[in-house]
Amino acid sequence: MDLYSTLAVSLISVVLLTILLALVGKVPINYSIRNLIVRWPISLMTALAFTMVIGVLIVMLAFVNGMYKLTESSGHPENVIILSDGATDEIFSNLGYRDVSEVEFNPGVVRDASGKPLASWETYVIVNQPIPIHVRKGERKRRFVQVRGILDPEISGKVHHIALKSGSWFSTGDTGGGVREVMLTEAEKEPRKINATEAVLGQGIAKEIGPDYNKPILEVGDVFNMGDKYWVVAGIMDSGGSTFDSEIWAKWKTVAERFGKETYTTLVISTTNQQTASATAIDLVKNFKKAALQAIVETEYYDKLNNTNKQFLIAILFVAAVVAIGGVFGIMNTMFAAISQRSKDIGVLRIIGFAPWQILVSFFLEAIILSFFGGILGCIVGSFADGFTASSIMSSGAGGGKNILLRLTVDMKLIFSGILFAVAMGMVGGLLPAFSAMRIKPLDSLR
Amino acid sequence: MNKFEKYVLDILDDPVSLGAVVVGMIIILGMVIFASSYWFYFRLMFLNLRRNIIRTALTSVASIVLVFVVTLVWTILWFLNLVTSEKAKDFKAIVTERWQIPSQMPYAYEASLAEGSPANEGDYKIDKNKDAMTWQFYGATIDPEKKTRDNIIFFFCMEPMKMTKMMDGMEEYSATQIADLEKLCDEMVKDKRKIIVGKERLEAINKKIGERIKLTSLNFKGIDLEVEIIGSFPEGRYNQSAILNRDYLNDSMDAYNRQNPNSRHPMTNKSLNLVWIRVPDKEVFQKVENQITSSASFTTPAVKVETASSGISTFLDAYRDLLWGLRFILAPFILATMALIIAVAISISVRERRKEIAVMKVLGFTPAQVLFLVLGEAIMIGAFSGLFSSFGTTMFINNVVGGIKFPIAFFPVFLIPLDAIWWGPAIGIGTALAGSFLPSLSACRVKVSEVFARIS
Repeated sequence: MDLYSTLAVSLISVVLLTILLALVGKVPINYSIRNLIVRWPISLMTALAFTMVIGVLIVMLAFVNGMYKLTESSGHPENVIILSDGATDEIFSNLGYRDVSEVEFNPGVVRDASGKPLASWETYVIVNQPIPIHVRKGERKRRFVQVRGILDPEISGKVHHIALKSGSWFSTGDTGGGVREVMLTEAEKEPRKINATEAVLGQGIAKEIGPDYNKPILEVGDVFNMGDKYWVVAGIMDSGGSTFDSEIWAKWKTVAERFGKETYTTLVISTTNQQTASATAIDLVKNFKKAALQAIVETEYYDKLNNTNKQFLIAILFVAAVVAIGGVFGIMNTMFAAISQRSKDIGVLRIIGFAPWQILVSFFLEAIILSFFGGILGCIVGSFADGFTASSIMSSGAGGGKNILLRLTVDMKLIFSGILFAVAMGMVGGLLPAFSAMRIKPLDSLR
Repeated sequence: MNKFEKYVLDILDDPVSLGAVVVGMIIILGMVIFASSYWFYFRLMFLNLRRNIIRTALTSVASIVLVFVVTLVWTILWFLNLVTSEKAKDFKAIVTERWQIPSQMPYAYEASLAEGSPANEGDYKIDKNKDAMTWQFYGATIDPEKKTRDNIIFFFCMEPMKMTKMMDGMEEYSATQIADLEKLCDEMVKDKRKIIVGKERLEAINKKIGERIKLTSLNFKGIDLEVEIIGSFPEGRYNQSAILNRDYLNDSMDAYNRQNPNSRHPMTNKSLNLVWIRVPDKEVFQKVENQITSSASFTTPAVKVETASSGISTFLDAYRDLLWGLRFILAPFILATMALIIAVAISISVRERRKEIAVMKVLGFTPAQVLFLVLGEAIMIGAFSGLFSSFGTTMFINNVVGGIKFPIAFFPVFLIPLDAIWWGPAIGIGTALAGSFLPSLSACRVKVSEVFARIS
């Protein structure tokens, strides 16, 4: 059982025990609830403080959750990613075709129906693209666009499990492949025919570049400018939820020539299953002598890119913990005030026969109820973030990294964590006042 | 110029800071005048707060922790805003490869780019000895058998003497620290094998100053160097960085090419990554930009010139939604939570003192006086908690922790600015006013007849 589960189980046990004690021990629960209702403005304000803390926490964790989901869906356990030895990221990798071409003949590599090995040869570059003046915000005048030169798009699609949402893959023929004649219509210019490079776009990047051309999203047939060259959208990838959503794929030769990177950066091979992938990766690292390379199971590669997520998660947990301390003092204030206002009530309760522990449970439960409802409201508020997209970066922390568009994800685990967190705050904040209520002497309070 | 003098001059230069200082002084002066003229009211507020020590303490502690978080968040936003704001005078520009990152240009570009590529009479010529700096990135491991993040070092290869003159962030160091760095740079010039490594990187690779290490390059295959660590950067932005004399790298490349005349090193025409230039104003920047981009010497690959702030903005683009969240969700929600906590405390306090307020009204206190008494209590808690928190946070984070360690782009650490000391009282007073407005309004509306009717 991990730390999260242990904490969750302990917390739920304490709450259940308190409820059980309240039910079995005839604790005046109605009295507590009625008090919360009678003093509704203060109860509401305290609950709202919980709502805010939990709401923000849910939004922040939805961001991290989205990043984890993205990295999970980007890698496939049966794939092995091959980079040059020492490269901390794809962008720094250099694989000569002659040096590593034999890798695709490794017995572990799966072949498609036509007998071609499922090996995706790729050159990954990051292009610095100027942003048109009408969509600029602040000092940001350029954006980084991730472009992947692909040798055989259909094979790469199969390796990465990516299908097309619309359009077609770019053509790859030696003469004229990857280029298409299109009619270019630009403001204040006569329409003219040009040769544009065919490209297939992830939905995220299509949405990002769309506003440059006064469109919400680029569609098949649209022409855009990048690297001083015209490109035409040949297809849109159904890549939602993976890092490829933020990429542009085009013919390898065009990318290599245009951006001066004439070696491959990445080779991804498909094997039958995770065990074969692990064995193939080990075999390549140990026994492949023609070039020094690193071979990693794709899921492990993306796991390494999780460093940014871990960094964000630590920061979020730190902020949440500090803000929670503020919330705890808030509820302590309310509960202490409730006790000082109701000291006579407590005296009466004691005289009519309620034991000190029943008073303790009653006040403790009151704090839990307040935090529980505040927490639920916070979860509802935070849930509105679900589905929103946000840009971020995914990196191993050793240079490089990928710019990504992620989807904020609020799932049941997050909701459950939010409620638990609120209840924990309520318990910590309510315990001390509940003890002080228990220690009130009946005669003193009635004097 | 010492740190304090520099800080004062910075404030005088920046209208926002100057305005804030003036407003702050007016508020403090107002409070002093108020306290001395209305000592009775001031004492009454203080006594009211002292009456329920637990409540006052709980509200103060809650405010202190929340101001702590807001100070951390605002520090990051403040710093990033500072580095991405366009400056009008004496600013830096970056020359890089036009279309892709990482920028990789032939080293042959250096001579002309560092001077701003003046070609014709009347062109602006940059003083390359004073106002230009080149960067070449050299990544290496000290354990070629087992390359891990902990044994990798990334070097900025540059002219050592340019470090204190041209690198960003040097203003964070004291005069003594700069003088020490200059001595180290001097040694690096005399012996190109000497290097400076940031404290955290030094700890990560488990090496000490004075040790010699062998570097196996990751990006310059076959160009392996032997170096001696002679010093470290003061705590701060360069904790993870390292500096190497560019001559050592370039001489080693030349030696490699002489030994392998038939297969020149693949990085030969890609070894220059960045050229920094300093220009006096925007007009000169545009002129230099035009000189460089229109030159036929820089076509394969083409280059671009941009202000440092614009370049940094592009790198920060990936974080834009995260920063938006910090600015418009996290910080406002924390402020609202703080206002709510103060509102709860003041509401409870007003509710408990309804009889007392009624008596005060009978004694002649006007509703406005009651309102200001309640508001004053909240402001006292907010202002003092805020000041205590922001001052404590600044001292603790900068001097004990060594800055906020939340790496964003190429900024690994954020030091809290001295300006943050006034953020605390400002946040405290603002949230106290927002939180106590309704409770104090309800206090001044207490009806004497109703309160006494209930008692009777």
